Amino acid sequence: MQDFQPGLVHTPVTPFTPGLKIDFGLFEKVIEFHLHHGAQALALPMHTGESVSLSDAEQRELVTFAIKQVKGRVPVIAHVSDAGTGIAAGRARHAQDAGVAAVVATTPYYWTPPPAMVVEHFAQIGAAVSIPFFVFYTPGELGATKIETDQVLKLIDRLSNFAGLVDASLDWQFMINIVSNAWRVCPDFQLVSGTEYMVSAGAVGATSMFSSLSGVAPMLVRRLYDICRTEKYFDARQAQEDLAALRQIVKRAGAGGLKGAMRAMGRECGQPRPPLDALSAGGYGKLAAELGALAVLRVEPRGW
Amino acid sequence: MSISLKGVMQSTVTPLKADFSPDLPTFERLLDFHVRTGATAISWPHHKGESLNLTIAERKAFSEVAVKVVAGRVPVSIHVSALAVEDSMELARHAQRIGADAIIAITPYFWAPTVDAIYDYFVRLGTAVDLPLIAYNSPSYLAGVEFTGELTRRLIERLPNFIAMKEASFNSEKFLEISRVALALRPNFSMIAGVEFLAPSVPLGCAGSYSSAGAICPNLCTQLYAACAAGESARARELQFKLARLWNLFRDQYPSSLKGGMVVMGRPVGPTRPPLPTASQERQAYIATQLGELGILETEPHGW
Repeated sequence: MQDFQPGLVHTPVTPFTPGLKIDFGLFEKVIEFHLHHGAQALALPMHTGESVSLSDAEQRELVTFAIKQVKGRVPVIAHVSDAGTGIAAGRARHAQDAGVAAVVATTPYYWTPPPAMVVEHFAQIGAAVSIPFFVFYTPGELGATKIETDQVLKLIDRLSNFAGLVDASLDWQFMINIVSNAWRVCPDFQLVSGTEYMVSAGAVGATSMFSSLSGVAPMLVRRLYDICRTEKYFDARQAQEDLAALRQIVKRAGAGGLKGAMRAMGRECGQPRPPLDALSAGGYGKLAAELGALAVLRVEPRGW
Repeated sequence: MSISLKGVMQSTVTPLKADFSPDLPTFERLLDFHVRTGATAISWPHHKGESLNLTIAERKAFSEVAVKVVAGRVPVSIHVSALAVEDSMELARHAQRIGADAIIAITPYFWAPTVDAIYDYFVRLGTAVDLPLIAYNSPSYLAGVEFTGELTRRLIERLPNFIAMKEASFNSEKFLEISRVALALRPNFSMIAGVEFLAPSVPLGCAGSYSSAGAICPNLCTQLYAACAAGESARARELQFKLARLWNLFRDQYPSSLKGGMVVMGRPVGPTRPPLPTASQERQAYIATQLGELGILETEPHGW
């Protein structure tokens, strides 16, 4: 169970047609791009894949499609988060039946349950499957509900398939507390960096990394990850700073920034679904100009 | 005017007598202890030194002792932040008059100033004295009021004496946003971690830390910095986990628990002024147990 190590996990965007349906033709291209540019696993649909804007049926269809397209070339991790525990657990079961290697879930959307019910939420999702289960902690997006060390320890105690925590808090203190305490009772517990801020996460114990910017700069992402896996973190500083700069540019462009950046790299993926704002022509122009000034992108692949 | 800030720097606690009045003789012993046990700089009074519970007159008296006792063995920085900006200005001018080596200041308290107001404040402070200026970023304690990369750039371009930042967000994204800008514009700028979160920050260019636990375990603090600086990742992680456990112990009722721990280590520094509590005998006994479990009692100096 605990043998599964995700490694460098690409988190693809979900392309939509002008009529706002999932564009599976384009999604096939997205998947193939990631598989040909360094992905050791795929996780989908993450928040950067607009999971929360997809219906339950669409999320299931997307996962099924991905499994068929990937054909076992790399493991696929299904993101199954929802507001309702039962809904998320049902989605996890479906994902396992479809053939994913693991599932991942955040704290519940909207509700702010007490700590014991947050544990219950995760325990029921994890117990719904026999494949590895990861908790995804992203307080910047789900600020009201916190995860504490004792909750993680309770989950380790309750779930034999609880494989680890994907951290997007970027909080050194949180990561150290979680992993140092988890390793005392479960040496195989995995800390996974939920973003490309891998130097600090790796230095305190992260061994895998989720990356959305892999759709923009897969070579840079792979370089950072590979250096970090050798634990030569001083050597990784330049790649880390380059990715931090790229991330700031994409973030400043707003919700449509990631797809806009992919478009600038010759990989048109359309606009995000409402209620997220589409990137305006002016916004795209500014984004493309800023990306054009990043020397590190000149060696990155253009087009599909 | 230039000073170098690197390694494990100590921001001392403030010794008080049983009646809560200043205990200057013990302050002298404490300063000497820190210098003898490897502090590369002294800074007083950070929040750990109960700065906001001291009158301006008391702060001046302690500052004079700090400069006199350290006597140029290592640089002495004076923390000048006060509730009223006019008091901060007065403390800054006083620091220069008594021969301090630098001043340090956090973003203004209570108010939620605009970025321009924060800029104006630091420009006023930095131009009022002919001393190096260290900025202090602590967004979690000041309701999100914080430095950005852009604000840092503006201040570096405006102030030749802006030489360092105590960065206490403990967050990869925030640290990198500031460090990328600061170190590119001023390569000898010192990014200093608040508390000993060195494993995640030194590979990103962090020069050292303002220690929280140095009055308890100076050897451990020095060993952590040395392991980080040498790129010994596994060793650094092991020591970082130990110091994180100590930080969890001391940040509860900080700095009361720290003062309680100093009693255990044979270096009593008296009570903590209200509204902060003073560590009870039961709390001290618990701290002693924890220090015993961590091996601190056997490996660190006891007494002065």
